Amino acid sequence: MTGRNTAAEADPLLRAEDVSARYGHVQALQPTSLVVAEGEIVTVLGPNGAGKSTLLRALTRLVAGRGRIYFRGEDVSGLPTHKLARRGIVMVQEGRGLFPQMSVRENLVIGGYLQPGEVDAQMKAVFELFPRLRERLDQTAGSLSGGEQQMLAIGRALMAKPQLLMLDEPSLGLAPRVAGEILSTLGELNRRGIGILLVEQKAPLALKLAQRVYVISLGRIVAELKTDEIASYHDLARYYLH
Amino acid sequence: MPNAIEFTQSIVNGISVGLIYGLVGIGFCVIYNASGIVNFAQGVFVMLGGMVCQALLTSLGIPLILAVVLTIPLVALSGLLMEVAIVRPMMNRGATLFAIILATLAAQIMVERITLLTLGDRPRTYEEFTSGGPLKLGDVAIGYQLFWILGCGALLVLALWLFFTRTRSGRALRACSQNREAAQLLGIPVARMMLLAFGLSAALGAIAGILVTPTQYTAYNVGTPFGVNGFIAAIIGGFGRAGGALAGGLLLGVLQALAIVVLGAGFKNVAALSVLLLVLLLFPNGIFAGFGPNAKAH
Repeated sequence: MTGRNTAAEADPLLRAEDVSARYGHVQALQPTSLVVAEGEIVTVLGPNGAGKSTLLRALTRLVAGRGRIYFRGEDVSGLPTHKLARRGIVMVQEGRGLFPQMSVRENLVIGGYLQPGEVDAQMKAVFELFPRLRERLDQTAGSLSGGEQQMLAIGRALMAKPQLLMLDEPSLGLAPRVAGEILSTLGELNRRGIGILLVEQKAPLALKLAQRVYVISLGRIVAELKTDEIASYHDLARYYLH
Repeated sequence: MPNAIEFTQSIVNGISVGLIYGLVGIGFCVIYNASGIVNFAQGVFVMLGGMVCQALLTSLGIPLILAVVLTIPLVALSGLLMEVAIVRPMMNRGATLFAIILATLAAQIMVERITLLTLGDRPRTYEEFTSGGPLKLGDVAIGYQLFWILGCGALLVLALWLFFTRTRSGRALRACSQNREAAQLLGIPVARMMLLAFGLSAALGAIAGILVTPTQYTAYNVGTPFGVNGFIAAIIGGFGRAGGALAGGLLLGVLQALAIVVLGAGFKNVAALSVLLLVLLLFPNGIFAGFGPNAKAH
């Protein structure tokens, strides 16, 4: 797979070349390349256990791996996770990754760890997107509903002022209406200039949002498609069975 | 059976030593929360606190306040050294937590032996911070040092609470304790936080050692009992909960003191370990584990 040829920009927002990852002796992700252009929403689809989450974990260096990662042309392959966040690469983990014993306010404040002088302004911006969080400020994150937790996870990531936001299954465990709301918020974030790399199981929702799709199966990318080229969701099934 | 005065006196003594256990227990929690490691060398920091302060006071003859101000960062430095020289290299090489915990135990024994070989086995102490006393309340005698322990302990707990809830680094440490990966993804340097945790924990141990030495003595081997009792205090309070460790320490100290007057000095450790077993049986997550969602690291 060569994402390079499909993305027009010389220096896209993110370019990953032959990124791979292992868990012990198991090769969870084969050498994989992908591109996210400036202002683009890209989704990664695939069946359970295909390696979608591992791909995001390898890109954020949560799991040790090989390959090169370029962010706006700069080689960031050797940077640890926290330094990638400083560059503007922020990920919302599967399961939301909140600090459950801390309040909503504290979660957001910690989200602004890299921008200590802008916490109030950023929090205000988060409340404009998710007004419900303002009402829950002093509640512990662990006591929120699933939808509210996802809002908090995204809001907390926004506190870090990301330029590229990666999300791992943001609709997981949410009612369809809430999942739709969350994903439409991602569209709004994208219109504000944030690039988005979205891993999602719910293909119909993701396809409505994304401009391009990578299909991953058995730890390797098996297809790269523009969403407007996909006639129906069932078109993707043959790649899943690759 | 002891009379009311002996009871009261033993409770007063128990509170004093219990607060020290609590501080050591908090030290355990700080490191555990930041790294998942139980640092069995925690008691060494208490021993070093007393030893270094005593050396500065007697060998160099410097004033107490200066000795205290110098001792705390010197012992904190030993905590940093332990993280850099032992814990981090092992973590980087993928050692299991059990192996790292064992290494901290080895470090404890090593530091004890080095202290024995260089300073000998002579017990050392220095005068209480305020001369005179004890204060007599009826027939109950309260040494002035107890007020220092209580006052400094209370200030320390308040300072820790403010640190963990009001400062950027304190919040980041708590974040690491709850979800290390999420903390990294938000830009928090987890390795630096671990270093901070070891330094802070060692400083807490040093303060405990400085405070307690005038009431008893310090020697190369006092670290082990303080470490064990601090560990028990942390478990009683629900491991990882700083407030719980403090309360656990006070409870343990008072129970030990009561055991001494009721059953005899030989039953001190029997009481401590019985309390531990009882707590583990009845409250496997500690007595205070369920006392509020924000209890952890507060």
